[in-house]
Amino acid sequence: MFSSIKTRVILFYVAVLFMILPVLGVFLYLSLSKIIYSSIDSSLLSEAKALATLVSNEDGETQFSFSDEIMWEYNSIKAKNFFQIRHFGGTTVEKSRSLRNLELPLPSSQNRISYQTIDLNGAPARLVNFRFMNYGDDEHEKKVPVVLRNASGFIIQCAVNIDEQAALLKNYRLILSLSIFSIMMISAAGGFFIARKALSPIKEISDTIKGISESNLSERIPTRNVPKELRGLAASFNHTFARLEKSFKRQKQFVADASHELRTPLSVILSHSEIMLRKERSAKEYKHAFTAIEEATGLMSEIVGKLLTLARLGTDKIELKMEPINLNEAIRQAVKVVTPLANQKGISINLPVNEQSVILGDRAALLELFVTVLDNAIKYNIPQGRIDISVRKEASFIVTEIKDTGIGIPEKDLDRVFDRFYRVDKFRSKEVGGVGLGLSICDEIVKLHGGRIEIESKVGVGTTVYSYLKRHGYVTQS
Amino acid sequence: MRILIVEDEKSLAEAIKKGLEEEDYAVDVAYNGEDGLFMAENEPSDLIILDIMLPIIDGMTILKKIRKAGVKTPVLMLTAKDAITDRVSGLDSGADDYLTKPFHFEELLARIRVLLRRDSEGKTSAIPIGDLLINMASHEVKRGGKEILLSAKEYTLLELLAINRNKVLSRTYISEHIYDYDFDLDSNVIDVFVNRIRNKIDRGSETKLIHTVRGAGYMLKG
Repeated sequence: MFSSIKTRVILFYVAVLFMILPVLGVFLYLSLSKIIYSSIDSSLLSEAKALATLVSNEDGETQFSFSDEIMWEYNSIKAKNFFQIRHFGGTTVEKSRSLRNLELPLPSSQNRISYQTIDLNGAPARLVNFRFMNYGDDEHEKKVPVVLRNASGFIIQCAVNIDEQAALLKNYRLILSLSIFSIMMISAAGGFFIARKALSPIKEISDTIKGISESNLSERIPTRNVPKELRGLAASFNHTFARLEKSFKRQKQFVADASHELRTPLSVILSHSEIMLRKERSAKEYKHAFTAIEEATGLMSEIVGKLLTLARLGTDKIELKMEPINLNEAIRQAVKVVTPLANQKGISINLPVNEQSVILGDRAALLELFVTVLDNAIKYNIPQGRIDISVRKEASFIVTEIKDTGIGIPEKDLDRVFDRFYRVDKFRSKEVGGVGLGLSICDEIVKLHGGRIEIESKVGVGTTVYSYLKRHGYVTQS
Repeated sequence: MRILIVEDEKSLAEAIKKGLEEEDYAVDVAYNGEDGLFMAENEPSDLIILDIMLPIIDGMTILKKIRKAGVKTPVLMLTAKDAITDRVSGLDSGADDYLTKPFHFEELLARIRVLLRRDSEGKTSAIPIGDLLINMASHEVKRGGKEILLSAKEYTLLELLAINRNKVLSRTYISEHIYDYDFDLDSNVIDVFVNRIRNKIDRGSETKLIHTVRGAGYMLKG
């Protein structure tokens, strides 16, 4: 599940949201609470300072000069403002009536000004502790060091009930949490939707690919509505499908052709044997039938053998044993193989002059290549004809030319002669024993050697086959 | 019955010719499309066995041409391709049946019998004419349940008359359809054969089946 891009995108996105949003919430909450508390604190401090001005100390007697007006907001039992004045030691000197029998807690800090949030009779309250020294009004005395003065220190404690503000903050906290939570949920859902939407072309492509099988290889991924980023991917897939389709088609055609080629000799065998078996026959009749069967079997085994060669060349590249080969020697070997056939037709084969080129190749495959080309040059040659073999260099290739004085190939057939089972004149081929696979095999062989094969022909004049093979080096003439 | 084989694979054509001749058919062979077309248009045959892949003119073209020329002889196509499209195009071009190579000879014989009997009623290989019963598969002939022994040529002639029952067949027509191209025509031979069959079939029966139509030929009536 975590391997899906969609899930990963969503998880990443949600993780970021879950990190940022709560921090934002806490920040907003703290900011508001700070604003509220600092405004409460500053008004409490002002009150404390105002009260302090009304406290004086004369001859060890503490004097308060609180006006009723000032007292008004402290003295109602229901008032929300409280004060308590203590000596530094902690003894209460005076407290507001609103406190009734309650006490404000002793300051937890020795600082001149300190703030606390307290619980006052079950209700939240904010408290400021303000310490100050009373020096009296004597200007002289102010210049005397504190320790020597008859001064007394007071702590003015002012408190206010912050029920409303606390409730406000609590509400705010709740609203903030809820909104952040909903924003996170909505964003996660949105993220899911966006990720799905953004990835949907990929799903479409993959659905199309899934739907393409051997039977509908001609289908393609529509590239029109594919986003720019995926167009390359779709095009690559389409390209691959096109290649697959072509190769499948070729393979299918090949199988159809192969079965077609095998059917004729098979029907010869079947007909002859069935007709022979219908009744007792003379030895002459049996001999005749067996001869026909033998011929058909020979043709079939030739086709099967060539098909196997093609299949092997097509699949097992590793079977080729590449080694440096003296081209001249390879050609001479091939000529040796076909000489009996050439002699039968009185055809002379002219070998190249001592050109000592070396190519990298498989000995057996190259022998097959040259024998096949020479075989054709003999079979389709005129009686007493000629075959000229020559070798030349061209760029990084060694080109072997095998030129005959044969019947030639019509121009319209030239580009099809390398197709499997293609025969220019099927009926002529039958007479000379060709099955239409020789040049296909040659084509495979040169391709496996990194080269190519070309053919040039003129009807009635002759055919030249050019085999391009990669040059490997030279041998020094000995 | 005379059959034309158009097949370029000589060995196959020879085998089929031999097999069919042993079944008392008269057989001509053409080894390429040109000869095949000429023989199909100019030689009388009762059936043409036509290969599709042929030198010079292919089988499909021959079929189209002879059908255009009005030759109605049944055609059995032979093909080495078993793709359904090849069969369809063969049948569309006017072939009456097709066989895919390799085929069994017995199957070829069965198809030939069906095609030859096509114009007669029924599709079984036995033709009943009155109390005469001719079995085309086994070449057995019975009259009133009694078996009648006929030579190969006598049987062929009777079968030809039976397939064309109630039609007058001239001596030339008969000889053309029971002998192949190489036979030197002599219509007296036909008279001899007809008399022999008449002796074997009609002798001792009240209803005569074989009739001589003066100046025209012979007819099997029933």
